[in-house]
Amino acid sequence: MTQDHYREKIRGIHDFIKENLYFNRPDLEIKGETFNSALILSLLTGLNRGKELIIGEPGLGKTTSAEYVGSLLYRIPIGLIWGSEVSGHPEQTEEKIIGRPDLGKLNRGTEEVVWSHFAQIPVKIVDEINRLPETKQSMILDGVDRGNWEYLNEMIINEEYCLFATANYQDRGTNTIIAPMIDRFDVVVESRHPGPNIAYLVGKFNEKDRILRNSKAEKSLQKIFKSKLSYQTKLRQMEEICDGYGEFLKKKLGIETVGLQDRKAIHAKISRLELDLDANAFTRMLLAELSFCYKYGQKRSIENCEEGCHFTGYLCHDLRNCASNRLPTSIKTYSQALAWLIGDAEVGVEHIKAVMPYTLAHRMQWKEEYLSNKEKEKRDNPFQIYLAKDAVRGVFNRYGEQSEHLKNALAVGYRVFKGEDLEPVDGDHPVYFEIKKDLGMEG
Amino acid sequence: MQNPFDDFRNHRTREREIPLDSIIQSRDRVMSQITKGYEKLLEEEVKELVWLVQYNTVIKAYTLAEKVVKEFEYKAEDIEEFCYELDSTDKIPYLITGPAGIYISALCNYAQEEEIILKLNDLKTQINLLGYRLPVGKKVAVEGNLGDFTGIGMEGGELVVEGNAKNYTGAGMKSGIVRISKNIGLHTGEWMMGGEIFVGGRVRGLGKIVDGKVYEDDKVIYPRNYRQSNAYY
Repeated sequence: MTQDHYREKIRGIHDFIKENLYFNRPDLEIKGETFNSALILSLLTGLNRGKELIIGEPGLGKTTSAEYVGSLLYRIPIGLIWGSEVSGHPEQTEEKIIGRPDLGKLNRGTEEVVWSHFAQIPVKIVDEINRLPETKQSMILDGVDRGNWEYLNEMIINEEYCLFATANYQDRGTNTIIAPMIDRFDVVVESRHPGPNIAYLVGKFNEKDRILRNSKAEKSLQKIFKSKLSYQTKLRQMEEICDGYGEFLKKKLGIETVGLQDRKAIHAKISRLELDLDANAFTRMLLAELSFCYKYGQKRSIENCEEGCHFTGYLCHDLRNCASNRLPTSIKTYSQALAWLIGDAEVGVEHIKAVMPYTLAHRMQWKEEYLSNKEKEKRDNPFQIYLAKDAVRGVFNRYGEQSEHLKNALAVGYRVFKGEDLEPVDGDHPVYFEIKKDLGMEG
Repeated sequence: MQNPFDDFRNHRTREREIPLDSIIQSRDRVMSQITKGYEKLLEEEVKELVWLVQYNTVIKAYTLAEKVVKEFEYKAEDIEEFCYELDSTDKIPYLITGPAGIYISALCNYAQEEEIILKLNDLKTQINLLGYRLPVGKKVAVEGNLGDFTGIGMEGGELVVEGNAKNYTGAGMKSGIVRISKNIGLHTGEWMMGGEIFVGGRVRGLGKIVDGKVYEDDKVIYPRNYRQSNAYY
């Protein structure tokens, strides 16, 4: 099957959800096409094996949008997804999230783990993650990050998985999401109110999620999950049932879905898409602003900017923290997936610009004075995403002014690194100082 | 370690051209032509770095300057820029105020614009001989002080100086108007054949004037006879 066929199927899934299951306004434009950010980013998360944090008011489709995407993209009956979700509440335990000892066998002196559905299923949904106490968030860090789930002395590794977590806005029952956890999310997106007219339509179709139910397949899959087979064997058996569910979807709803091998082929193609030089240089420029400090060598959350610093016009001045190494990976993989979905041969600045705010919003810790200045500005996004969009716009403007100069500096950097006797290119932006540092010169 | 700039190994430098770049390039090109012309004049006229203001020398230098400036196109603002280029001695080898003034006069006389404004307040050197042979219909307005022989041999036109001028202002002028807002030195109007010199400040001394008028603060001081030539007052 060609990539065009795969793309057609994935676009079919997107359109089906848009037309029948998740009604919302488009709020993201790329190359003349409009998408709803929550839906498209969930789809990219599924394709990318990524991790998405969906925020929003209660009842605006945070969890259900993830369920629809997970169900159709991974051919998993929605009932099984419901049964595998972890809900965030203070009494949540490791035994309910990851696994528990087989008590029967334990009585007989044998240690064996009964893995939770959540640990085994490739589509993982944590509902209201910020209701999990901070100590309990730490329990799932490794599993969220690498797909490694450990209990007692046993471990299962998810080869293919994606994670959706939802979070309500802060109220009395919520906790903060711990910094290492928040950084593990590739993107954050808001599931917005669709507006009264579309909301009225939502009310007209009460039973819409029932159409993704298939009791027979759900029971079979639950049986496999509960069995004592090895995880690999379970996955193989699971795939057969999922293929059957795919046939069911095609017959009942006329929607074509993709199997494990198809998803692997898509993922391989996505990860091979190259970033063009503008996308590459623009990303470097942004990363420089998020990690640079002239005075202290790099941005650190424990150090404050010096009064009268030359670099007050850049993001480093308004931020408290430094960008993590997960950020460039998130930017790259999501922009690659977006470029693939649109049908572009390589990743350009447009794709990067579209996904960047969503990869940044949850990772940027702004200074109080900056937040105070911006708080009352008119906006159409949650504050975090608004600030991230504003930041990306600013960096892009700066990039526009010096794109050729920066690419030239990077090209010269390549030659100097190779040993040629050249002067690195100077410029008034942190990125030029960072280039010099990489060439062993004082920035 | 892997070269972190590897993605840019095949990138060929291509600076984006913005309108300002092309303007600067064009200005640079013009300035280079003006400067070369001046150097040519110097090669011919100042072989020993000594230049005396003599009737024949001035005519010869101007004839050559005329020939040079006709060879390229320039604008009025380029003349002002050239004055500052002259002032920065690292760019042009010799600033000799005589040939420089002749050359700048030729540039003014052959400029396409009828009115030329030269803002020379920040010039460290005072240029001599500016306004030489200024033709009918041309106006040169200078902000800043000028040196000796300002407006000599003027053939018409108007030379306005917002500042001072030194000795021999208007010497040998045939026609036209010289307006100096502040003071001028000795020998004003030496061998002047016609035209008018208006001085807002004081005239230190008049030269041997043949014809024409000299005003000091709106009062005619020549042809009235109450001031002696070269009399200090």
